[in-house]
Amino acid sequence: MFDFIIAGIQAPIFLLVLTGMTVGMVGGFIGVGGGYMVTPALIVFGFPGYMASGIDVTHIAGKSVVATIRHRQLGNIDWVLGLAMVGGTMMGVEMGVRLLNYTKSIGLSGIALLTGSVGIMVGLFLYTQIETHRAQKKIQELSREGKTVGRELSTSNIPKFFQSISLFPIIRCHVARIVISMWVVVLVGIATGTLAGFFGVGGGFIRVPALVYMVGATTHIAVGTDLLEIVVSGGYGALRHYASGNVDIMAVFFMIIGAMFGAQFGSIATSYVRGPAIRYILSYSLILATVGAFLRLVYMLSAQRYEFLNFFAVVFTLGEMIFLCLFILSLVFFAVRHRHGKWVPAWIPSLVVVS
Amino acid sequence: MKSLLDSMAVYWCILLLFSLGAAGLVYVFWLKEALM
Repeated sequence: MFDFIIAGIQAPIFLLVLTGMTVGMVGGFIGVGGGYMVTPALIVFGFPGYMASGIDVTHIAGKSVVATIRHRQLGNIDWVLGLAMVGGTMMGVEMGVRLLNYTKSIGLSGIALLTGSVGIMVGLFLYTQIETHRAQKKIQELSREGKTVGRELSTSNIPKFFQSISLFPIIRCHVARIVISMWVVVLVGIATGTLAGFFGVGGGFIRVPALVYMVGATTHIAVGTDLLEIVVSGGYGALRHYASGNVDIMAVFFMIIGAMFGAQFGSIATSYVRGPAIRYILSYSLILATVGAFLRLVYMLSAQRYEFLNFFAVVFTLGEMIFLCLFILSLVFFAVRHRHGKWVPAWIPSLVVVS
Repeated sequence: MKSLLDSMAVYWCILLLFSLGAAGLVYVFWLKEALM
């Protein structure tokens, strides 16, 4: 047990290191901050809610720097795309927060907000699942025909529409190999930022699918570029929280120790898999986070009467972290086995990179 | 066992049940006491 003086609680150090490591691994792999897992976990560990948010954002900023550096080395970051989008995202988050305050002032109930956020998350989950399943089938077909398949295959036609909008200025994203109007990227940033600010869900959840399905980036580039955005937005959030006294720096320190290893592993793991594998993990993460958040909210809305709901919410949050880490670890494990010509499940070859 | 793992859905379910079970055990036998 460690005495966290600023937060005013005692908590086991290794729990924080482990949380940082698991969330770092998932975040480095699918390009999200992971606040949906960290904040509830910290509350379970006994941190006050405001302190949990502050520690979460500060740790995410630090972890994203580590993951971004690693993704840069892997060539997964398009700076032009990231910088064009970040301005729109910041503007969108501000708009989302103002919209939230307005809906509160006109008495829109929490239930309506919850339904909206659950609807968006489930919609994104379904679309990602269906599209990724199609892409996986296509890879299997091409492989059967003896054709070489690269590490990315997307069956969505939406990017073609957005890339065909020829509104000046046109930007050339050399790493992502995209030529697109800057306004499209900025508007996508505003739209995803508004949703993130309004519903209070992590931006990465929405931005990574948006970068893939609207802008037309490959999943690897979307993950790396989104992490770059999280460095900017997380850094700003960390400064705001630190100035407000919501950060216990020792808790952040222990979480970053774990995240340093987890984020690097998660980032490197992306080089073992094809784009659809990352999209699968992202969609699983989406649906599990939605179920966890839904259980927590039902528990809160029921005036904390039903203790079993709290139990399931906590178990789901912890179980989700374990599940995602195990899935990523097993993908890397099977990818290595596949490279050595050993037996792997039938669905693995279409999801992993051979060399 | 190998043929069971050939289905991604079955693999997904096994892994999820294992994870939720592990999380439940961690909470019941350790986390709840440690956080009291």
